[in-house]
Formats: sequence, structure tokens, C-alpha cells
Amino acid sequence: MEDAKPTLVLDHVTKRYGDFTAVNDLSLQVRPGRVFGLIGPNGAGKTTTIRMIVNIIIPDSGRVELFGQKMTTALQDRIGYLPEERGLYKKMKVGEQLRFFAELKGLRGKEADERIDNWLRKLQLSDWKDKRAKELSKGMQQKVQFITAVIHNPDLVILDEPFSGLDPVNVDLMKETIQEQKAAGKTIILSTHQMEIAEKLCDDVCMINRAHKVLDGRLREIRRSFSRNAVALQFEGGDGFLNDPALVANIRQNGDDCEVLLVPGASPQTLLRRLVDAGVAVTKFELVEPTLHDIFIEKVREAA
Amino acid sequence: MRKFLAVIKREYIQRVRTKFFVIATILGPLMMAGFTIVPALMFSIKAGGPTRVAVIDQTGKMYQRVARELTNGRPVHSSTPQPESPPGRTNNPNDIDQNGRIFQGSFVVEEVRLDNQPLDQIRRQLDARIQNKSLDGYIVLPPNLLKDEQPEYRARNAADLFTQNYVENSLSRAVRAQRMVEANIDEKAVEKMSQPVNLKTTGASGEESKGESSFYFAFGMGLLIYMSVMLYGQFVLGAVIEEKETRIAEILFSSIRSFPLMIGKLVGVSLVALTQLGIWGLAFLLFTLYGVGMLAGRGVDISWPHIPPMMFVYFVLYFLMGYFIYATVYAVVGSMVTTTQEGGQLALPLVLMLVAGFYLSFSIIRSPNSSLAFWASMFPFFAPITMLVRIVTETPPFWQIALSLVIGFATAVGLIWLASRIYRVGMLMTGKKASIPEVWRWVRQS
Repeated sequence: MEDAKPTLVLDHVTKRYGDFTAVNDLSLQVRPGRVFGLIGPNGAGKTTTIRMIVNIIIPDSGRVELFGQKMTTALQDRIGYLPEERGLYKKMKVGEQLRFFAELKGLRGKEADERIDNWLRKLQLSDWKDKRAKELSKGMQQKVQFITAVIHNPDLVILDEPFSGLDPVNVDLMKETIQEQKAAGKTIILSTHQMEIAEKLCDDVCMINRAHKVLDGRLREIRRSFSRNAVALQFEGGDGFLNDPALVANIRQNGDDCEVLLVPGASPQTLLRRLVDAGVAVTKFELVEPTLHDIFIEKVREAA
Repeated sequence: MRKFLAVIKREYIQRVRTKFFVIATILGPLMMAGFTIVPALMFSIKAGGPTRVAVIDQTGKMYQRVARELTNGRPVHSSTPQPESPPGRTNNPNDIDQNGRIFQGSFVVEEVRLDNQPLDQIRRQLDARIQNKSLDGYIVLPPNLLKDEQPEYRARNAADLFTQNYVENSLSRAVRAQRMVEANIDEKAVEKMSQPVNLKTTGASGEESKGESSFYFAFGMGLLIYMSVMLYGQFVLGAVIEEKETRIAEILFSSIRSFPLMIGKLVGVSLVALTQLGIWGLAFLLFTLYGVGMLAGRGVDISWPHIPPMMFVYFVLYFLMGYFIYATVYAVVGSMVTTTQEGGQLALPLVLMLVAGFYLSFSIIRSPNSSLAFWASMFPFFAPITMLVRIVTETPPFWQIALSLVIGFATAVGLIWLASRIYRVGMLMTGKKASIPEVWRWVRQS
């Protein structure tokens, strides 16, 4: 798996609109069978990047290679795309709508109908098959739209902000479905500005900000390299024992937690022993991994 | 190709199933029928049986003439031969039915004699009869009618202008004839001399033309092209704006190239239009074959044009030409704007162009061979209406028809080529209306 050919390669891709550069010299690789997070704030260039991947806009310079080939219209059928701005034909029935989008992806006949029914059942939409799209709630419309992205069983699924507008129950349903797609061997590109979600779902990430790549790589490695040697604490009793510059670099109150940043090289074990020795009642002791959010902020500050 | 067909299929089925389509398709022929048959019926059928009129003749000599004029020269079914009959009696109903429901014959006239009773008293009696609906109205002929005294017509329905007019004309004719007689002029001779001419109009090829009906037919053809191109062009505009507004375009473009997508849309809507026109054409044909004869059998004579089959072919050709020219531009307009309102504004010049073509057809009906007519029917934005009107009124040489078709369809192809370049970029652009220089850049770049 590790050495398999990348599903997608962007090689020094740039896209400008007039004076505005939407994506600047972006290179990245997406490996097969993994969930790839394209992460960045609104307006960072995520959607433009995706539009170039699905071949609806053409880069000014650079190269997009999909499944080892130069991008063509034929390859479009192997991609499933859930755009950020969602749209369905308002007056068209859900079932017919799905059928139309399936046909647009080259699917037809009985097979198309069966898959539509399966997906509707899976996403708890079967009762809505003969309803017009405008009668559906926003969350339901979104699930319908998701089906259009996966109905033709594509090798690469691109989801642009798939969770926006979903209630918690449906967010879980969607997460589950994404995991299933991954388990089925699909490659998934997940574009989002919600870093907490990306953290839970992605294997690899690429962070972009203001058209530039900030960093990319395996999520686990990135987090490890940004590890700050911090501990989240909850305890009852005095905190005088924390005033040791040889052990504690900084203390930050984070809600109920007291986040203790240790000096580089210091062991969390030493801190734990101190706590026990001081006789305070520890209710929480947890090593803190940096969040993507923290890493992003740090990288953006660095760059500025 | 399959994707292209999927686009056509969606566009067609979704539209044909709408209530609007069904209603418009049914109402179309009804309105067509309404415009031609109803006026004919209105003029020929008068509801509620014949108009019963009493005449009080104070001149003592005018009754016969007036009655004859009112009943249009038919024998007078009046009470004069039976002077003893009481004023209240109506005439033999059988005679009335024989006169039919045709307006001109639908008067039943009775004479009311003064017999030395005061006029006011008789008026009161007659008013009472009008009240209890045994009479519709009465005419009072004053003693000096033949000089200048005004006759009076009192009617239950004073708003019935047709009847009023008819009574007035009848009285005028009766008075004129009586005056002649009294001036010793031979009535028969006058009648002969004042016989009006009856203009017979023939088309260039010799067949007898029904002047009025072929004018309306030419006009109707122009109107139909104008309305269908406008309507279906607007459909395309609406459809494109919907896909842009809802961002469906993004999914579409990630599945199919913009060119087949746009063509599929245009073709799909054109098939809807052809379906509707086809249904109307069939209705028209059936009516021509059966309806006209049936109505004629019932005494309703509507002038119905004779249409050579080639006319239908030309109609379809020019409709398609007009549709593809205008709908393509509508598609471009739709891709350039962000809301339906903006679309309406930007499409205004286009609508004006279509309206101009329609108005030109008025002058072209009058002089179909003028140089204005020639150039207007070569200009592709006018040709769908103007050339069709020329073909209906005075068929131009075939080379002219062929030339206008070639120019028109070449224009359509050129526009479609241009449009597909703008369409793709425009559909993905959001936030603001595109300016013309911007659009021009898209065309050169893509």
C-alpha cells in the first residue's frame, strides 16, 4: 500500500483569476485507499484546488495527474464529487434526480435503480424517494447529494465540507459512511475547515492557507513532530508544586483542565510523581497531543 | 453520447410533465378556436330566441315596410292581416323556428294600432308587457317620421348595440324607400342601381383567396412563432439560471463537457416545444377536416384558410431556426447573470429584437415583395417571423427561402459555438454579473 502509485498528483499547480491568485504552486500526492484531508480556512483555495482535480477548471500552469494519467474527461467518471455549494433540481423527485446523475456518470438500467434504492435505504431516505427535492430538509438534501457522489462507485471520492448543515446524528452517519468507503478501498479527499473532524477521519493531511501549502504529510507524524510535551491536569489541592522552572515551562487554564507545558526533555512521569508527593487528589492526567488547530495556527504564525 | 441523451431526456420529461405544459397545450387550441369560432358564433347566434318587437305606427303607412326590413325581407308575420286580433297576441311560433336562430331573421314583429286610444295608454300597456317578458321592445313611429321626427325604440335591453343598430338601419331603409315612393322615384330601379359590388379577391396563382382569413392566418403564424420562441427561449433562460443559482452546474461539469450539456438542454427544450406545436397542429388539422364542416352544417360559417402541407414544414423549420438562435443567446445570458431578475434585464434587447421582427411582419403582410421585406427576411434574428409571413402572403422565389434558411441556421451554429465557450466559464462564476469585456475575454481564452 505504501509504495502503490499515488491516486492523484498535483505538480506545481497554479490558478489565477485576474490579479487574484487562488492556488499558488501547489504540489501534493494522494495515496490510494487513504483519507486525505485538505485543510484550511475559508478562502484558502481548497475549492479551487478541487475544481482543478475534477477537471471543471483548468490550471494556468502545473500538472494534474489522476490514476497515473493526465486528466481527461473520461477519467471524470471515476471520480465522485460532492461540491461545497450543494444543488439539486428543486422540482425534481429525489429518485429521478439520482437516476439522472447516475446516468451522467455512465450508469444505467436496473443496476442504477438498485444502487439508488440501496443508498437511499442506507441513508434512511427511502420514504423520500418520490418527494421533490424542495420538500426535503437541508440535511436530507445533503445526504441525497452525497449519494450522487458515490452512486457510480468511484475510485476517488471528493467531499467538500461534507458535514456542514448536518445534525449530530447525521454527522455520525456520514462519518461512518466515509469509513466504509475507505474500507472498500476508495481513496477519499476530504476538504474542510473543521479541523476537529479532519483530525478524527484523516490519514494524511495537506494544510493550505492563502493559496499556499502550509504543510502536508501523515497526520500521525505531523502531530508527533509538533508534540509540545504538555499534560492536561485536573486535581484538587494546592498548586505550589508546579512552580519549578526546571520542570514546567508554562501553565494555561483550559476550561476545567489545567494545561501544563513541560520544559523540553522533562518527563511527564516526574510531574506525576510530584503530584502524588504533594498529596493532591488527581482526577485527570493526560498527555496532550497538539490539535491540528494548534499546528495550523503555529505554522501560519511562523510564515507571517 | 449517452450522457448527452440523459440531459435531453431529463429536460424533456421534467417539462412535459409539468402542469403548465399540460394546461398550455390544452388551452392553446381552445384559445385558437376561441379567436376564430367564438366571434362567428357570437354574431350568428343570439341567445334566448327571437326578439319580439311591437310597432306603433302613427304615420299610418310605414308598418309594412318597417316590418319587412326588420324581418329581412321575409314575409311579415304580423298581426296586420288580422286587425281584430288583440294586441297581446304573438305570432305563430312555427314561423319563428323556421327563421332559425340566425340573427337577421330573428325578429318577430307585431303591429299595435292606436285605434283612437291615447298613445300614453298604449305605451303603458306595452311597458307592462315588457315587464312581464312577453315583449322585448317596441318602436314608436311618430306622425312626421318621413320629415324629420325621431322614431323611438324602447327595449328591455338598451345595451344590446347589435339590435339597436339593426333597428336603426332597418328604419332608415324603410323611411328612405317610402320617401322615394312619395317623390315618385321607382323603388325597384333604385334598388337595382344601388346594388353594392362584391369584391372577389384571388391569389396570384389564381385560387380564390379568402382575403380576411389569409391575413389572419399570416398574422397568426407570425404570432405563433413569436410567442413560442419567446416562451421556450425563456424556459432555457430559466433552466440555465436555476442550474447556476443552485450550483448544480458544478456537478454537471464534473460529469459532462459543457458543449454537449448546453446542446442537450437546447435540444430537450426544443423537443418539448415541438411536442406542443405538434399537438396543436394535429388539433388544427382535425378541426379543418371535421370541425369546419360540422359547424357549417349548423349554420355557423367561419372562414377557414386552406393551408398547403408545405406550410407546416416551413413552420417547423423557421420555428427551429428562431428557437435555436434566440434560446442560445438566452442560455448565454443565463450563464452570465446571478438572478432571474438580472437575466430579464440582460435579455431585454433580445426580446426587443423579437418584437421588432413581429412588428415588421405587419408591413410585410401589406407588401411582401418590398425590399424591406426582403432584407428583413434575410436578417437571421427577424427571418423566423418575417420570412414565414412572406411565405404565407406571397411566396417568394425558392432561392430566397433557401438563402434565409442557410443564413439563419449558420447563425445558430455560430452562436452555439460562441455560447459554449461563454457558458462554461459563466456557469462557474458566482457573486456578480459578468460584463461584456469579461465575456469577450472568456471567448478568446477558452
